[in-house]
Amino acid sequence: MKRRNNRQAELADAIVDPGRRRLLKAAGLGIGSLSLAGTGILASTPARALATNARIVIVGAGAAGLAAANRLSATLDGARITLIDRRERHLYQPGLTLVATGLWKPGQTIDENQRYVPRNVDWIQASVSEFDPDANRVVTDTGDTIDYDYLIVTTGLHVDFDAIEGMSPELIGREGIGCVYDNPEHATRTWEMIDRYTTEGGVGLFTRGPGGIKCAGAPLKVAMLTEDLAQRRGHRDRLEMVYNSPGAGLFSQPDMDQFLKEEFPRRDIAINWHHRLVGIEPEQRRATFATPDGDIRFDYDFIHVVPPMRAPDALGNSPLAWQEGSFADDGNWMEVDRHSMQHPRYPNVFGAGDCVGTPIGKTAASVKAQVPVVVDNLVSVIAGRELTASYNGYTSCPLITSRGQAILVEFDYNLDMVPSFPFISPYREHWVPWIMKDKFLKAAYNAMLRGRV
Amino acid sequence: MAFSIFGILAVLLEFIRPFLPLILAVVIIELMLLVVALRRNGLLNTFRALKSTVPIGVVGFVIGIFTVPWMTGAERSNLAGIIDWLSLFGASFALGLIAMLLVWPPFALFRHRAS
Ligand SMILES: Cc1cc2nc3c(=O)[nH]c(=O)nc-3n(C[C@H](O)[C@H](O)[C@H](O)COP(=O)(O)OP(=O)(O)OC[C@H]3O[C@@H](n4cnc5c(N)ncnc54)[C@H](O)[C@@H]3O)c2cc1C
Repeated sequence: MKRRNNRQAELADAIVDPGRRRLLKAAGLGIGSLSLAGTGILASTPARALATNARIVIVGAGAAGLAAANRLSATLDGARITLIDRRERHLYQPGLTLVATGLWKPGQTIDENQRYVPRNVDWIQASVSEFDPDANRVVTDTGDTIDYDYLIVTTGLHVDFDAIEGMSPELIGREGIGCVYDNPEHATRTWEMIDRYTTEGGVGLFTRGPGGIKCAGAPLKVAMLTEDLAQRRGHRDRLEMVYNSPGAGLFSQPDMDQFLKEEFPRRDIAINWHHRLVGIEPEQRRATFATPDGDIRFDYDFIHVVPPMRAPDALGNSPLAWQEGSFADDGNWMEVDRHSMQHPRYPNVFGAGDCVGTPIGKTAASVKAQVPVVVDNLVSVIAGRELTASYNGYTSCPLITSRGQAILVEFDYNLDMVPSFPFISPYREHWVPWIMKDKFLKAAYNAMLRGRV
Repeated sequence: MAFSIFGILAVLLEFIRPFLPLILAVVIIELMLLVVALRRNGLLNTFRALKSTVPIGVVGFVIGIFTVPWMTGAERSNLAGIIDWLSLFGASFALGLIAMLLVWPPFALFRHRAS
């Protein structure tokens, strides 16, 4: 465990009750005393920091957790910030689609969390096994209890391979099975499967988990890049490609949905509506789909498995999860106000990233938009001010249609296109979004981790 | 999602971060050569040398036009619309400029020796 020692004694403090919290605010926070911070040349945070001795715990050191830690540490002076995550390796997940389609080397997606953890933040390498928001504490799988005044939940999500009968991550790269939603090693094995399939041909089944999944564009990109590769190799006629949608659409943004509904048939990719993958028999290379007419079995030579996704169990089974409604049924997602990102029942708790139940999101692009809102609003809560920052649902997907071309799709809760660069059409395939995805988005992602964009 | 100027600089910094040591080494060597050239040759001659690098810049630009799409894993047929072509011209112009700046200090030294 790194950087833990000096935090241990402080964290053993008794639970802070609301009364004590108010006292802390009044006495310890020293709201009036402002100190200089965040004046680094590339800091986008306020030049003046708020002095506070509040204990802030961030659970999950992925895209959202690291970005929040960096922003908070630059915005607050004296806060005791603790980051909890067992994982040391940081994955640039948006690169996994490129690894799985042979466009990137796996090493391009692998980094270290340590490089992004700010100096004044304690990093506890453990997993949270219990959230106890009534007592303002979390319990780790190593048995430690960590009290907090404020909590930010950024655990990401759980890819539920078990929800597909017969499926497990170990099967990726065997018996024609591929999946981009795991790790670089499995993305590499997926590439081996796609490489073989686009040479030998046969039936290719492309699937998509129902409900909220991270980067809902990735299954579409895998299908289109596979088709493109087969074209380039001159083997397209050997492939029978079928995309199985669990619902009646391909993409949540209606213009893009329409585009894809025309693009797939144009490229001879058949579409099955309301086909949800529920089982797989690897040895027989057979997949079972639940449809309105009952279960249907298809034989395949290649299958891209996209399981359903849900909140990690520790979070999904806690009082922080939605207790009823679609976000509870879909994946036990964390409850937040969709604009302020604050928990409605626990006002000292905020959430960001893949774990929250909001109508759209679950992209690194959403994280980029959510984290500044979380940090601004948390600082407002600490300072006793009104919450003013608001997340508009921004999400983005550079929808790669072939090697060398993509559509930069950016939209909000209203499903309106909100292009960052108005001179790049969000309705047309261009070369520039491809360069962005291939060359610049990782740089933008890293800058986000450092809290600079 | 608007990017501030600091945000754009931060992204560029992250983009070049893996190559920073190499870039710094090249910049230092070039600056040292330039200082030597300035001392030996004077301001006017050193800046005249810049003029003679223009053909190199033009060659860099033309090579850029033909190779930049390929360098990005794309093909010329992937360029669609004015924004793609403007970007290609911009990137090739930058390539030409970098080529000019790279050969300028050695050129400036060479001019001195030749004169
Ligand atoms: C194949 C693929 C392609 C994608 N493409 C794009 C794209 O093109 N554009 C885009 O914007 N986004 C894309 N994304 C989505 C993007 O990567 C995620 O939305 C983003 O990483 C979410 O960040 P996060 O911090 O919420 O979760 P993560 O980055 O997954 O981090 C969660 C962290 O929480 C930790 N954790 C989990 N449970 C616990 C616990 N109980 N205790 C402590 N720590 C815990 C985990 O170890 C992990 O480190 C893609 C994702 C994938 C998989």
